[in-house]
Amino acid sequence: MEIEEMQALWSEMSDRLEQQKKLTNEIIMNMTQERYSNKFRTLSTYETFGALFCFLIALGILVNISKLDTWYLMICGIITLLFLIVLPTLTLRLLGRIRRFNIIDKSYKEALIGFQKAKKNLLILQKSAIYASFVIMFTASAVFAKIIGDKDFFLIDRGIKEYLVFAFAIAFVFFISRWGFRSYGKVTSSAENVLNELE
Amino acid sequence: MQKEEEFIRIIKEHEGVIFKITTMYTDNRDDQKDLYQDVVYQLWKSFESFRAESKISTWMYRIALNTALTRLKKSKRMGNTVPMDKVIMQQTENYEPEFEEKLKLLYAHIKQLDVLEKGLMFLLLEGKKYEEISEITGLSPSNVGTKISRIKQKLKKQIIKE
Repeated sequence: MEIEEMQALWSEMSDRLEQQKKLTNEIIMNMTQERYSNKFRTLSTYETFGALFCFLIALGILVNISKLDTWYLMICGIITLLFLIVLPTLTLRLLGRIRRFNIIDKSYKEALIGFQKAKKNLLILQKSAIYASFVIMFTASAVFAKIIGDKDFFLIDRGIKEYLVFAFAIAFVFFISRWGFRSYGKVTSSAENVLNELE
Repeated sequence: MQKEEEFIRIIKEHEGVIFKITTMYTDNRDDQKDLYQDVVYQLWKSFESFRAESKISTWMYRIALNTALTRLKKSKRMGNTVPMDKVIMQQTENYEPEFEEKLKLLYAHIKQLDVLEKGLMFLLLEGKKYEEISEITGLSPSNVGTKISRIKQKLKKQIIKE
């Protein structure tokens, strides 16, 4: 299909669409009401629940922090706490920024640059979270082993079963991360390309 | 009330434009409907500011394209989406499957372009001159020209590959 052929086809389609008007006054005015399932809001709702869940766990650790009675368990506790508090807070802030993004007074170029930048930041944060999840897997295991079972994760006698469970967990995180890196990588690089084109 | 009537008139007059943009930026009927509503909502929100400023079509293209490009993709709901089997929605007595096939192919080519190229290609197909495209997009006319010739080359390559 040549470009000229595309243009002719497009123009024919436009003519046909002209003949099949289907919006009524009521449908149009219904669309102007902010009652529809807004994607940003849906996403933010999920993230808000996720964040609340993280904050609750963080609160649980804080209440029991005195049980972390060695310096290394305390370090694990602090790292886990930071992860549970900082990451969801940053995610919600970035999502909020995207949601409040004003498209009305912007040209296509400005809207594209602003949105791609916000999206890139969100993706970078999510990518960093994947890296961090490797570390958190260890620190959180140590913290919860102590708080729930009163066991020192680093001094436990482990049998084959425990090592197998751990190997499985590492493999699981590895595959999930690899999948995450690949998909995030594609999206960030496409955002990057568009920004390079425009700036 | 007069404002509403004026808005309804404009939307009815340009509903084809919104339909074409929303079809171009989405992959299934549910997403298209959502985006359609988003666009009308954003147009309504900015209706006041438009009246004092630019041409209706420029305002409409700008808001519709901006809404489309800043939407986040809804996560795929497996088995729950209706594929876009028809571009022209209503099956009238003039319905031609062959024409539909050609349209689907045309949209398939456009959908392979990146988000910036998609917008430019759309405006080109709408028959807009470089100056008008420049006004809508905020790119300089010469930049529009360069990018459009690159898009044409890219499309040619795509077509040859098939």
